[in-house]
Amino acid sequence: MRSILGRTSALVLLAGLVACGREVPAPIPRAGGEGAPPARGGTLELASFADIRALDPANMADGLVPQMLEAMFAGLVDYDHEGHVVPDLAERWTVEDEGKTFRFFLREGARFHDGAEVTAEDVKRSVERALHPSAPNPYASYFESLSGFAEFAAKKTERLAGVEVEGRYVVRFRLDQPDAVFLPVLAMPMVRPTCKSAGDRYTDTWVACGAGPFKLAPNGWDRGRELRLVRHDGYYQRGKPLLDGVRWTFHVNSTSQRFKLTRGELDVMREFLAPDLVAFQTDPRWRPFGAYEANKQVNGESMNCELPPFDNVEVRRAVAAAIDREQLRKIRATNLVVQTRPVPPDVPGFDPEVPAQTFDLPRALEHMKNAGLAYDPATGKGGWPHPIPYLVYKQGLTEATAQVLAQQLAKIGLRLEIRIVNYPTFMAIRNRRRQSPMAPGFWQQDFPDALSFLEPLWTTRSINDEDSNNTSFYSNPRYDALVDKARREPSEERRRRLTTEAQKILVDEAPWAFTYGYRWYVQAQPYVREHTAHPVWGIELSKIWIDRAGGRMASRALFGHDARTTFASVFGDRPR
Amino acid sequence: MMERIAKRLAWSVLVVWATVTLAFLVNNALPSDPARMVAGPQARPQDVERIRKSLGLDRPLYVQYARFMSRLVHVGPFEVAAGDAEHATCETFGPVHVDFGKSFQQRRPVAKIIRERLPRTIFLAFAAAFVQAVLGIVFGTIAAARKRTFIDVLAVSGSLLGVSAPTFMTGLLLQWLFAYELHLLPLDGFGDTTLEHVRSVVLPALTLGLFGAAYYTRMVRDEMLGQLGQDYVRTARAKGVSPAGVVVRHALRNALVPIVTILALEVGVLVGGAIVTEAIFRWPGIGSLSVSALLDRDGPMIMGCVIVTSTSVVLSTVVADIVVGWLDPRLRRER
Repeated sequence: MRSILGRTSALVLLAGLVACGREVPAPIPRAGGEGAPPARGGTLELASFADIRALDPANMADGLVPQMLEAMFAGLVDYDHEGHVVPDLAERWTVEDEGKTFRFFLREGARFHDGAEVTAEDVKRSVERALHPSAPNPYASYFESLSGFAEFAAKKTERLAGVEVEGRYVVRFRLDQPDAVFLPVLAMPMVRPTCKSAGDRYTDTWVACGAGPFKLAPNGWDRGRELRLVRHDGYYQRGKPLLDGVRWTFHVNSTSQRFKLTRGELDVMREFLAPDLVAFQTDPRWRPFGAYEANKQVNGESMNCELPPFDNVEVRRAVAAAIDREQLRKIRATNLVVQTRPVPPDVPGFDPEVPAQTFDLPRALEHMKNAGLAYDPATGKGGWPHPIPYLVYKQGLTEATAQVLAQQLAKIGLRLEIRIVNYPTFMAIRNRRRQSPMAPGFWQQDFPDALSFLEPLWTTRSINDEDSNNTSFYSNPRYDALVDKARREPSEERRRRLTTEAQKILVDEAPWAFTYGYRWYVQAQPYVREHTAHPVWGIELSKIWIDRAGGRMASRALFGHDARTTFASVFGDRPR
Repeated sequence: MMERIAKRLAWSVLVVWATVTLAFLVNNALPSDPARMVAGPQARPQDVERIRKSLGLDRPLYVQYARFMSRLVHVGPFEVAAGDAEHATCETFGPVHVDFGKSFQQRRPVAKIIRERLPRTIFLAFAAAFVQAVLGIVFGTIAAARKRTFIDVLAVSGSLLGVSAPTFMTGLLLQWLFAYELHLLPLDGFGDTTLEHVRSVVLPALTLGLFGAAYYTRMVRDEMLGQLGQDYVRTARAKGVSPAGVVVRHALRNALVPIVTILALEVGVLVGGAIVTEAIFRWPGIGSLSVSALLDRDGPMIMGCVIVTSTSVVLSTVVADIVVGWLDPRLRRER
């Protein structure tokens, strides 16, 4: 009996110690050297805790699916590594009529997954399918500048007048007014050409089929479990992709992902627990194969400009100056970076010349004084006399940052009353007019351009009584005019000047106090070659190739760690 | 007996209806917007509005409720023809159709999604209940039979540890040891073949089972100690029945009555989903589905999950009644 008790205790203790204190095992090495030629074959294993809801460009309703759509659906245009628009199915295009007409010339011979050739008719059909009001497309209105969009969206016509077929390989898009971000928006997955099997109108039962480098494997989408793609041999870029396939597994929690990565069952990992991330980043065997993705997200404190005390610009300026962003960053130092401007640094349109919102407590107190709310930190007297409800949602990072923020703003006489709700409630209340004085704001680029932030977040037309994307309800005609002008400005240089001006206004008038950006760290196995983080899609599947020593079946047991060793260490004997 | 069961089943329908109605009202009373959850946090208001209309969320609440209840169980064709929009979201049982509507998020019939997931959840629930019952009864009985010995202390302490350890900790520990280090079982998932399903259920069932077994050990021990002090046990001993016979054939059978009741209820609750365990082991059951539905304010899916959960709990009480009556004939006569 004593031996059972002793063995059980030892087992539990050992398990705990080993689980807490183990180093990261060595990765499985590459087979070839640095200059090894790319080889075809292999399936890339990816995992996520999140799941996808649909596999249709016309229903891009979650944050995970765009990279899968990018793999399956080629567009007329795409984004390159700097986020610039480059040709894809369209080998070239012309811009005429002062930016109101775009004519695309398709590549001849580009094939869908079903073998049919991609034609201009397919482009028009796919655009109409995705933008028809019967489709659950959450981004349809991004194309409202297309001629005839309003009539089409109101079901007054069955055809979208602004998209015209001018031959088998030429398609023309007509806009009512110049739209400088039409091309970046077109590069998003929503209106990418779909096979004829998709039909003219959206249906929930269609089996995804496009012209991208990968196609859906037979029964390849097991909902809630996994998605399997295989190489599309008819892909127009000959020789690509190199992988035989890609498999995403869903609902895999971070701990399981970490286990799978170190066992060689996962090839690229992104969703780390903070301690695991530190372990991988500090391990010289893994570090060369890890990198941060582009920072394409802005976070800040959204202050409701229609409600006191934030209807006073001086109070907003005080908040922007009272936040010590470095302190906030330390809450999750592995992923957060200090951010002091409205546009993240990795997004085209970011301008380092825009003055930053910086931590300066004396200046913050001065702003409070200017607002008529002078506060004396020594006596604690003055400031805003009422508690300010501050809304956060459960299980978000903001639940933690709210505590630090409350302490920082208390130093200038603003007392936050933190109210924690669930995410849907948070969204409903924060986005409702005259409801929440202050709440965290966050936004991720929809397309790589400053206007992806400046337009939806702070223009007057983005204000709505319900579901407002302008959560600070900030309204400034001068700012609106700059953004509108930038949207119509075809010259890159002039547009940049306009967006810079608009950013300066935001930094000064502070509808948001900008705080931090979130960067994902991606750890790849050494044998995953040509893996680089793409600024929009995250992972560029068409370039990656697998160079794994021992093939897919090799586990780290071959490289120094072995189940038997552990068995022996636990039970004191070899398994029989 | 049959009349009694029929009455209980009729009562069950009322209970399920009340639960569903309450869930419907609570879900719609919350300050949140299902259409926004479908469209995503960055969709424009005009797109959110269009989606709201397409989901029927712009209609008055009583219209939505009336439509849902009228469709919930109805009569229709034996087989739904392709393209029959009226019955496209139905699960058919002959002419009887069950229709929970279409999930806002997944845009698939809720009844179909539940049909896919329910067998996996029931599989896990019964596996976990089996572990709980076997371990709980064995350890509880031994502890009672060996009262105030080292075994008793070990069983009581072990059960205390088991009850105190949260499932996320037990689950991770089991996963780390048996799957990650020893490679004996799959890390997570459900597998594709029957053998893989069985291998995959071991760790989640153990995780749930160890927690429940600890509880049952204590309960069986206490019940057994109560029974072992009864007159009929003394009589049995006096008549020369072996110690094992006294414990197993006489005391244990009587001690099982309350335990079976709780175990049946436990199965009902487990069918509602073991949320944490499903998350750790990526078990594609009702628990993770319910949580996602709730977080996404997916009304039809929430309703479907509530109906499954409440029905399973209510039915399990009926089953418990039957089993208890079988175990103890006195109860059959009293009722």
